[in-house]
Amino acid sequence: MDRRKFIKRAGAVAGATIAAPYILPTGRLFAASGGGGQLASHVVFVLFAGGVRQQESVLQRYLDDSQGEPYAGNIMYNMLNGAPPTQKIVYGTGLGGINPIPAVLGQTLQQQGTLFPEMRAVSTGHYGGLNSLLQGDTAATQGLNQKPLGPTIFEYLRRHAGTPASKVWFVGNTIGNSVPLLNYSEHPDYGVTYGANFFAPNITFGPLGDEYLANAKVYHPQDQLAPMYEMKYFLDNSFENQGRVLPALGNTEEEKQDIKAFMKEMFNKTQNGTIAHPPVADSGDLRTVGYACELLKWFKPTLTVVNLSAVDGCHSNFTGYLASLHRADHAVGHLWDFIQTQVPEMAGDTVIIAAPECGRNDEPNAIRDANDWYAYDHSDQNSLRVFGMMAGPTVPSNLIVGSENNPVGRVTDMVLTIAEVLGIKSEVINAGQIYPTSSSLFDQM
Amino acid sequence: MSMRISNSTIRTGATACAVVLAILFLLPSCRKDRIYEVEPLPVLPPSPNKDKEKTNEQYAAILHANLFQTALSANELFELGQCIESIGDKELAREVIISNFMNEPDVIIPSDSVMRADIDAFVNATYERFLVREPTEAERTWFRNYIEADPNVSAELVYFSFALSNEYLFY
Repeated sequence: MDRRKFIKRAGAVAGATIAAPYILPTGRLFAASGGGGQLASHVVFVLFAGGVRQQESVLQRYLDDSQGEPYAGNIMYNMLNGAPPTQKIVYGTGLGGINPIPAVLGQTLQQQGTLFPEMRAVSTGHYGGLNSLLQGDTAATQGLNQKPLGPTIFEYLRRHAGTPASKVWFVGNTIGNSVPLLNYSEHPDYGVTYGANFFAPNITFGPLGDEYLANAKVYHPQDQLAPMYEMKYFLDNSFENQGRVLPALGNTEEEKQDIKAFMKEMFNKTQNGTIAHPPVADSGDLRTVGYACELLKWFKPTLTVVNLSAVDGCHSNFTGYLASLHRADHAVGHLWDFIQTQVPEMAGDTVIIAAPECGRNDEPNAIRDANDWYAYDHSDQNSLRVFGMMAGPTVPSNLIVGSENNPVGRVTDMVLTIAEVLGIKSEVINAGQIYPTSSSLFDQM
Repeated sequence: MSMRISNSTIRTGATACAVVLAILFLLPSCRKDRIYEVEPLPVLPPSPNKDKEKTNEQYAAILHANLFQTALSANELFELGQCIESIGDKELAREVIISNFMNEPDVIIPSDSVMRADIDAFVNATYERFLVREPTEAERTWFRNYIEADPNVSAELVYFSFALSNEYLFY
């Protein structure tokens, strides 16, 4: 090889070495930038909250459309405009729930953003509904105890925007009902490598976590962890795992250290009672949101999805359902308030989106609770009626799109809406995995 | 009644006997010689057939047995499984659980002086304890060199790396 050729080749190799680490798995050289189509740097998506009837939420009919008692009113006054009920108060705190929880937000989310009061769900079940919210597809063939079949918004974001694992979070309120399965799909083009980090804080930082996780030994990153990982990698290279994909989310060693430090901090804060819980934190959903707030403050994630589900108690207890719905609203209000007041990096640069995975029946079942009120399951046409709302920068304020007789939007539109906010809308569409008629809610205003 | 046996009858009988004896004598010599060959066998890595992934509970149970030489109760196993389930990054969950176990006073790990006194024996024993096999010569050599070269490498860290290895997740 002559000198000129050698210099040419050496230059090419050096260039490739510098550029290669920045080429995304999609083949793009650069991730979608904030200056392009991105509307905000952060999205918080609340899966609200376990099967919500339109009648008691956006329609604000309280007992008027369910129990034959003429008492209407708004029990979600952090999210929705409207006066609360004045009689038969059972959803608050104290004996009999007679003390409504004071509003957290000075201005409702409806005033701050856009409300889609009549949307359509595609499943009357929880898991199918959650999958449709996260996959942007009907998830019609989705098994109950099965990872999502189609890619989730977590995977779209990580693959197409190159977002690090520690910037994409799914916070579950339980490890039951297949909730922990939702952080990534089994789709061959996406999957675990692009999955979201997940915590179920009531377990991870609850009594069980305290017993088995809280006492973790702290190792020195360079002197101890570095050789430990080196030995592990040697062992991994020696092991031929015969084509099995090992479930690894792709957190780097630094990200793992950061997550472990966060866990340590959470155990300390839990012990000291200083978790950023909402003013009232008497339910699993509310405590979950408290930990979600801590997570937002620590990681400033690009995408955070929070699952709430206590409302599902409506299968057997309508009074409890009202209380849970009131608390879910309290949780969302606290979450939004916390972002705006406690996380300066996210304040003014975050879009919050909330939508139920499914509605609830028009007709009650035969179960009556302590107040002699009927309970409701979710299986009929009314269970496909849901609402959606969002607020944040570039979201029109005080706007209502659609009405009870004019449904606008489907739950499958949420993926594209989030994708549009985060600047990967065209990549998600081009992937060809979402429901064919899905469109961003921004395109339906 | 007297019986007479003729000469020809005796001759015929003797001939038949001779034929039978000849056949019996010659039969074994008609067998084919055995041919011994070498059956081709695929060359496998040192950890073949470990293709079943352990469940969270299996992992926790075996890890506890390896580190403490005692079994966990069914209740503890269930609870540990729930803790792993509550964390999305399973590798991170396993790291945290191992770190917790390492902080327990009754964890059974050889001292560093014992490890360094006979590194080969330590490496052999560690492979057998965690991976249920002997190391290859290359593996043993790599670990010997690595432990000798780095004074920070303790028996605890070696155990940690084995408990976190991919091979340890399979059986």
